[in-house]
This record gives sequence, structure tokens and C-alpha cells, in this order.
Amino acid sequence: MAMKAMLIDAMRCIGCRGCQVACKTWNGRKAEKTEFFSGPGYQNPGDLSAETLTLITYNEVQVNGRFDWVFGKKQCMHCNTPACAAACPVGALKKLESGPVIYQKHRCIGCRYCMLACPFEIPRFEYDSANPYITKCTMCADRLETGGVPACSKVCPTGAIAFGDRDEMIREAQHRINQNPSGYYHEIYGLEEAGGTCVLHISNVPFDKLGHRTDVPKHAVNKDTEQAMEAIPIVMLGLAALLGGIYMLRTRTVHHESDAPRADG
Amino acid sequence: MTNHFIDMTNADVVMICGSNAAENHPIAMRWIRKTRERGAVVICVDPRYTRTAAFADVYCKLRSGTDIAFVNGMINYALQNDRIHREYVRQYTNASFLISPNYDFQNGLFSGYDAAKRSYDRSLWQYELDGDGIPKRDMTLEHPRCVFQLMKKFYERYDLETSCRITGAPMEDYRRTCEIFTSTWAPDRVGTWLYAMGTTQHTHGTQNIRSYSTLQLLLGNVGMAGGGVNALRGESNVQGSTDMGLLFNVLPGYLKAPAKGMESLQQYLDDATPKSKDPLSANWWQNYPKYIVSLLKAYWGEHATPANDFAYSHLPKTSGNHSFISLFEAMHAGKMRGLFCFGQNPAVGGPNSGKEREALGKLEWLVCVDLFETDTSVFWKRPGTDPSGIATEVFLLPAAASMEKEGSVVSSGRWVQWRYKAVDPPEEARTDSRIVSDLVRRMKEAYKAGGTFPDPILHLTWDYGDEPEPDIHRVAKEMNGRFLRDAVVNEKEFKAGQQVPGFAVLTSDGSTSCGSWIYAGSYTDAGNMSARRNKEDAPNGLGLYPKWAWCWPVNRRILYNRASCDPSGRPWDPKRWVIRWNPQLAEGKGGWEGDVPDGPWPPEAKLPFIMRPEGLACLFANSLVDGPFPEHYEPLESPVRNLMSGQRCSPVIKIWEPDKIGDSSRYPIVATTYRVSEHWQAGAMTRNTPWLVELVPDVFVELSTDLAKRKGIRNGDWVLVETARGSMRARALVTQRFEPFLIDGQLVDQIGIPWHWGFAGLATGDSANLLTPHVGDANTMIPEYKAFLCSLRKSGEVA
Repeated sequence: MAMKAMLIDAMRCIGCRGCQVACKTWNGRKAEKTEFFSGPGYQNPGDLSAETLTLITYNEVQVNGRFDWVFGKKQCMHCNTPACAAACPVGALKKLESGPVIYQKHRCIGCRYCMLACPFEIPRFEYDSANPYITKCTMCADRLETGGVPACSKVCPTGAIAFGDRDEMIREAQHRINQNPSGYYHEIYGLEEAGGTCVLHISNVPFDKLGHRTDVPKHAVNKDTEQAMEAIPIVMLGLAALLGGIYMLRTRTVHHESDAPRADG
Repeated sequence: MTNHFIDMTNADVVMICGSNAAENHPIAMRWIRKTRERGAVVICVDPRYTRTAAFADVYCKLRSGTDIAFVNGMINYALQNDRIHREYVRQYTNASFLISPNYDFQNGLFSGYDAAKRSYDRSLWQYELDGDGIPKRDMTLEHPRCVFQLMKKFYERYDLETSCRITGAPMEDYRRTCEIFTSTWAPDRVGTWLYAMGTTQHTHGTQNIRSYSTLQLLLGNVGMAGGGVNALRGESNVQGSTDMGLLFNVLPGYLKAPAKGMESLQQYLDDATPKSKDPLSANWWQNYPKYIVSLLKAYWGEHATPANDFAYSHLPKTSGNHSFISLFEAMHAGKMRGLFCFGQNPAVGGPNSGKEREALGKLEWLVCVDLFETDTSVFWKRPGTDPSGIATEVFLLPAAASMEKEGSVVSSGRWVQWRYKAVDPPEEARTDSRIVSDLVRRMKEAYKAGGTFPDPILHLTWDYGDEPEPDIHRVAKEMNGRFLRDAVVNEKEFKAGQQVPGFAVLTSDGSTSCGSWIYAGSYTDAGNMSARRNKEDAPNGLGLYPKWAWCWPVNRRILYNRASCDPSGRPWDPKRWVIRWNPQLAEGKGGWEGDVPDGPWPPEAKLPFIMRPEGLACLFANSLVDGPFPEHYEPLESPVRNLMSGQRCSPVIKIWEPDKIGDSSRYPIVATTYRVSEHWQAGAMTRNTPWLVELVPDVFVELSTDLAKRKGIRNGDWVLVETARGSMRARALVTQRFEPFLIDGQLVDQIGIPWHWGFAGLATGDSANLLTPHVGDANTMIPEYKAFLCSLRKSGEVA
């Protein structure tokens, strides 16, 4: 299977949040207790969390001297060379050839290295759970297996979340920018960020105005991670022993709930 | 809608005015997005920078309640700059008709006004007729009393400056809006106008729509692909409900509900059937008797005979206005004993809902049929109420949701689309049709023992099978209509029991029955047309998809499509032709191709607007009670005087509560109400759905940063909003998306409040309708939810 990608177009997004609800529906994530709004505009919840794997941001900005309201989408970027997977000592995070970075919870030891490693600050930890796991968007890898598309892409009424071969999505993004050069910002976020990602964003405003990190290096970040890790081998050894112990404990409990109705990939 | 959703992809300009399509009709944006990416311009006109405004290329703000001043200014711009489709206007509208000298307009009032009755004598607004009784025309449009000249005089008062002074629209944005939209006067450019409750929910809501249609007719955009005047209906299947006679003043198929005094069928028909002496007028409504008799046959079958006026006497007669506000006024006055609420939640959705909640307590009984316990069903234990003081007996019947039953859903574009049941309803929940059917069967049983007037119940046809659950296919077939006996119609033979192929074969002699004449053709002997799912487009490639579901009338996808061609049958815009006359068809006799045309007649045989007795679209008409042209009046409550005349608000609206009108000295801020994407209507479904509550948990008020600063309010503060009717608390959402308006040199603030909340369910909060006035549109009585006056201040925290 060719590498797939999502193309998210802020020019097409109407901020309806069908995607946010579809994500929770498909992935069986709970509603969070919110009050009023937790971010600018109608944003709720305030940020990604263990229960919220994708989030629409409401950004009141100035474009060419005029006021505008632009909607961004936060979620896992599905890096081509994922730092989270590189950082994971037990291989719980894995890049599939088809694009998604999936999470195999039966392997996870709960060390949260992935959270530290991710340049986009995406993975979350179930702090409130007695038996916590990492959560993040999996690009609905389980839906892709049967020829489906991610749930958020499926419900989007305006086609703001396109899904297809990464090469094709890049061509499509460039095509849209070329068709409307005065409308679009002339870059594709995710084309090179962190060495390229399987989630691509295009927009009418610079990406930092949508809340995306623009200080992410244009090369694979796991190289940094690997270098950093090499620098502290003793710490790693000690940690490995500790984490190994935790892993054994965790694996015991995992067997008890192997039939949990989750779709974690 | 004159057109339909997919047709929006054919537009060069999409005007979204009176609708917040991105938030309330997100699927519409699928098509609007497509046409925008092909180079079309999307314009959003709204008091607030909405998610629709965010999507649009051009945004122009206006103060709530000033649509007519806004659009009349656009009409004037088109007339003054000759940006009109002149040939279309001459040939297809009544611009050339001469109007009686009795018509006049002075200082905000049309001739014939009776101040005591607050009504007009509309007989003064008439055409001048020739010796044969046909309206006189001046095809040069120069006669000083022709509609075109009267229009120019009427609309010239709305110059750009005046329109901006009234509406608060910034001149630069307004001029740009006028220029872009009127660019569609060219025959090969077309603009669509989308509206919704932002248009209708005003004391002059119907005239708002008339101003849109007037402009669209001047630009030649009616009947065209990518054109038309398109109401985005407020609820899924509300189109189907109105088609079925949901409103008090109509029977199924928009036949008129008979009024008191119309004692015989003939009297009723004399009133309802329009007449025309013009041989060029198809005057389709001359068929009225066929439709009403077929409906009476559907209702009372063999008991409806020529000898008894087809049981016409069984039809209830209206004795005045029985619309929503009137009902609740009567209820509040103790004049009503019982109420059925099917999927309706007036304790949250009704205007001046504090009064409506009180009114519910004066009923003997109340039946709520819903998916959840609604605010209405527990009105008796609302906060601050002592249930022991309320004697109303309340029944809550659990209803099946739309996915738990089979049947048709009709979209705004008049597409009747059949749906199958996905899952069984939970527990004891039942379909609405089952609940009604059980009721009818028990009423029939009860009336066997006698009653005041048992025949309408005892003889009512209820032929939907022997099971407790009515066979919904039988209902659909009854709507389509069938032959009750062998008959020959239009030289064709039909057998008893045959489904009618279309309304052209319905009869007034009792040989056919039809539950809704506009649905004739929807379920024929060839099967259920609304269940069709063929994705093949028509040859004109406009996205008509004629074999996908079925659309009333006669599967015509674009209404008034005869006007998309010149009189000789050639399309005004050949690259987007809807229909065209092809002389090669029918063995050289010629025929229409494309969409189903407005009548089968060859070019030049009949005038294009077949539902009008004059055969033409009306730029001047006496059908509305508040004037032949749309005139700007302020809402019932307004912070400014009417800059157009001494007539402040509509002179013909019924003032129910003169002591409940707020004035701007105490209530200086304009308020409006609306919905958000995340909640649905009065909230029973969405306020009980945690995933949606997470997104928008609390009632909030949107206000400008400017107003917030002056009031010392910060984002998230609790505020108190008060009107002459009541008060509510809400969280303040301080935003640049609202700005104060400059109205005639005066700064006017406006705020907005979503109205979804109530006291029942998972997410609770004060209802915005505690604030809204009990006043309605002069013609339809739809409540004025969209513009009223309030005061606003910071409030303490509430639990």
C-alpha cells in the first residue's frame, strides 16, 4: 500500500466540529467536562487530552488588514520518521508503511518518553486512570485496514479533510495553492516538518496563527533524540531496568482487559 | 427552495443573507465550497461575523431587522445603474402592467390604510384592466403608472447612503456587495440567494423575502440554474411537514384551510380558485377543485359524494388566526383544554417563553411525544415553581428517532427521499405514526357510542393495514393518489385501484383520491419514486440527478424553469441550460428537453409563471397584507426612529402585549437570537448528548470588545440580560466578531444569544426566549425572535 496522508485545508473548514465528535464516536473516547469555552472563540476542550485526540481551534486573526476567523485542526502529524517511535524503549509506537503511527498498548510501559520526544507535543497520558495508557490519533488505522478513511475525514461536510496517497495529497495541496495564489499561504505544513509528515496542512494564514508549531526542524527529529539518548547511556541502563520492571507489572494487568472495546490500532 | 442544494454549484455569486449556512446547514457548504473554488464569489450579510462570514469572500454587516433597507438599496442600485436583465423583466414579470390610480404611497403608508383596524384595503392595489378583463401593459415600461415606473419611484428613496444610515453597513462593503451581486444581471451570470430564519423571524419577515425575490427577478435569476430564492429550512423534514399541511391555515399541498363563513364547497372554491381571462395564462390553480375533491376523497372515501359536497362540511373551519402565538395567548387566557407536543419544546422554543411556561399550567392535559424528557414535559417542576399549584396532567410518550423508522424525509430542495429503518426503537418507544394511529383507532371506538359530531372521525379513512404499526408505504401511496373507479382522463383510460401517474389526471368528480396533490407521481404503479438512488445526471450536466429520489412537483428540480429560456425557447445562458426547446423531438413536432418544464406547451403558447393568474412573476402584488412593495419598518422594538417615514414599525402587525414593549431609554441594546452548529433547536436531543455538551456546555452571550470594555465585562464573566419580558443569565463571550453599528450618526450596540438552553436535561441554562417578544410577522405570525431591545450588565456568579 502506498503511504497515505491527510490533507487539512483551513480554507475549506467551517469549524463545525463534526470531526471532533466523529473521532470520539469511532474511538470510544469520553466527553470531557467543560465550562463555558476553554480557549479562543468556541474552542472546547482547551487542548488535546487523553480523551480528545483531535481539536478544532478558533483563531481570530488579521489577514491583509481585515479581521478574519480561521479554524485549525490539532492532531497527531503521523511523522514519516516518528520521534515518538524512536524514543519508545519497547516499540509500543510504530510507523506503518501505509502512513499511520500506531500505538500498541499491550507493549507500553507507561514511560511517557514519546510525550517528551514528540516535536508537535501530541501524545497524552491517561493520568486519571488507575491503569493509564498513552493516547493519540492513530489515523483510524483500523478503518484503513478495511479500505475506509479516517472517521474525521469521512464526516467532514466540506471536504476540508482529504485523505489519499501522500504523493497525491501533496500534488492536490500544490494545485489548490496554484489555483488561488492570492488566497492561500504559499506553504504546505508537514511537507518537510520533522522530516515530512502524513498530515499536511494548507491555510490562508501563516501556520503559527492556527496554533501549529513553526519551530519544528525540517529534518527527522528522531536523529536528535537518538543523539540525546546516546549521550546518557548510564541513565538509560538504569531506566531500562526500572521500566522493565514496570513493563512486567503492566503486561500482567493488560491481559485482564484484552477485550476492552477500544480501537487503539 | 426554488432550486436545490447541488444547484448551488452552478452559481457565480452566492448571497447568504438571513442564513448562517455554515453553522446551521453545514452540508450546504459542501456545494458552496465547490462553486467558490471554481471562481464564484460568496457574500455573507449578517449582524455578526459568523462561521459563514469566515467562509465568505465578502462580508457586509447590517443591524438586525433592517434587511429591507439593505436589499431595497441593492434594488435601487440595480435600477439606477441599469444593471437589470431588461428583456427578462419586460417579458416575464409584471413590470409592464398598469396599476390603478387608487394605489398610492405616502409617508410609510400605502393607500387604503385603516388605522382603527390596523389593516389595508388591498382592493386599491389593483391592475388596470382592458375591455376583456385582461391587465393593460406598456411594453416600453415608460407609462408613469406601470409597475416599473412605480418601482423606480418607490425604490429611489433607498440610495446607498440612506441604506447605510439605516442598516449600519459600512459604505465600502455595501457598495461592493451591490456591485458584485448585481453583476448577475448579465444573462450569462447567475446569483443565488440563500436565506433562513434570519430573514423570516421579523415582523416584516415575508416582505424581507419579497425584497429578495424582487431583486432576483430584476436580475433575471429566477428559474435559472445557480439562481433562485432559496429557503434553507430550519429542520430536517420541516419541508415535508409544511407540504402535509402542518400550518393552521393550509391543508396538504398548500390548499387553503377553509374559514368560517365558507359553508359550501362552492363558496370555498369561489374564494380559492383564481381566475384569469388571459388566454396566454396557464393559471394552473384553475385546477383547484380537482385537488381539493381528491383530498376530500382521500380523507373520507366512499362517504365523500357529490351529493354531500364530498364531505366538505367535515373539514374544520378556521375562526381567525390559530398560529403559535395566538394559541399560547388563548392557552394563557384559559381557553384551551389540551395540547399535543410532537417533538416540540415551547418551554424553550416559544417567544416570551416565561409566559408560555405559565400558559402550559392552565391546560387540563398535555401530551409530549419526544426522545427525551423535555423542558416542556417537566414545565411543572421548573425552578421557582411549586408543582402543587399546577393541575395540568402531563403524559410523556417515548418516541422513535428518525433512524428508528422508515419513511420519507423532504429536503429544503423539495426532494422527497425515502429512508429505511436502521435500528429498532428502544424499549417502548414508538413511531409518531403509530402513536397517532393508536389514538385515531381509539377515538373511532369511542365515537361509536355517539358524540357531538361523530361522522368526521367515524368515516375517516384509516387504511394503513391491520398491524398496530401503520404500513408507511400505504400512507405514501395515499399521498400519491389513486383511481377509485374506472375513468377516462385526458383521453387515457385508467382502472380502479391504479395509482395516479401525476396530478394532471386528478379529477373533481370523485373518481380519484389524493392525499397531497403535489406528491402525485411520487409513488406510482412503477414503484416508490422517492426510494430511487440512480446517480446518473441529466444531459445538461447541472447536477439535477432526475432519477435520484423524487422531487415535487412532477420531479421538476428547478422551479420556474420556463423563465430560463427566452420566449422562443432558447436558454438565456446556453452553457447552463436548464430546459430548451428542441424542434427535432417528437417526430418533428418539437419538445422540451432537460429538466421537467413548467408545462408542456410549446414556446409562445403560454406565459412562464404558470401558478400566477397573470402568468408572470410579480414585482407588485396585493397578496401580502402589509403592502404591494417591501417597505422598511423598524422591528417592534428599536433603538432608532424609522429614517424612511414617520411609521416606526409595521402598521399592520398585531400588538398582543402593549405593556411588554421595551423602549431604548431603558433597553438601549439590540439583541438577536440564533443557533450554533453544536446544538439543535430547543436542545432536547443535543443537550442530552455528552459529546456535544462538551463542545458548547453553557449558554452564552456574544458581545463586542467595545461594549464589554464600557460595561467592565471580561470574557467568561456572568452577565444579566434584561428585556421588558424577562431576564436571563449567561456567560459573556467577548469578541471582535460583533461590532457596534453607526446608525444615522449614533452608535448602536448589538449582542447575540443562542437559544438552545432550558432547565431540563444534561446541560442546563436560561433560555434566550425568556427575553423575546410575543409578536409576529404581519402575514405569517412567525415570531420576531431576531430583533428586540435589551439591557446588559455584569452579574454575580450563579451556581
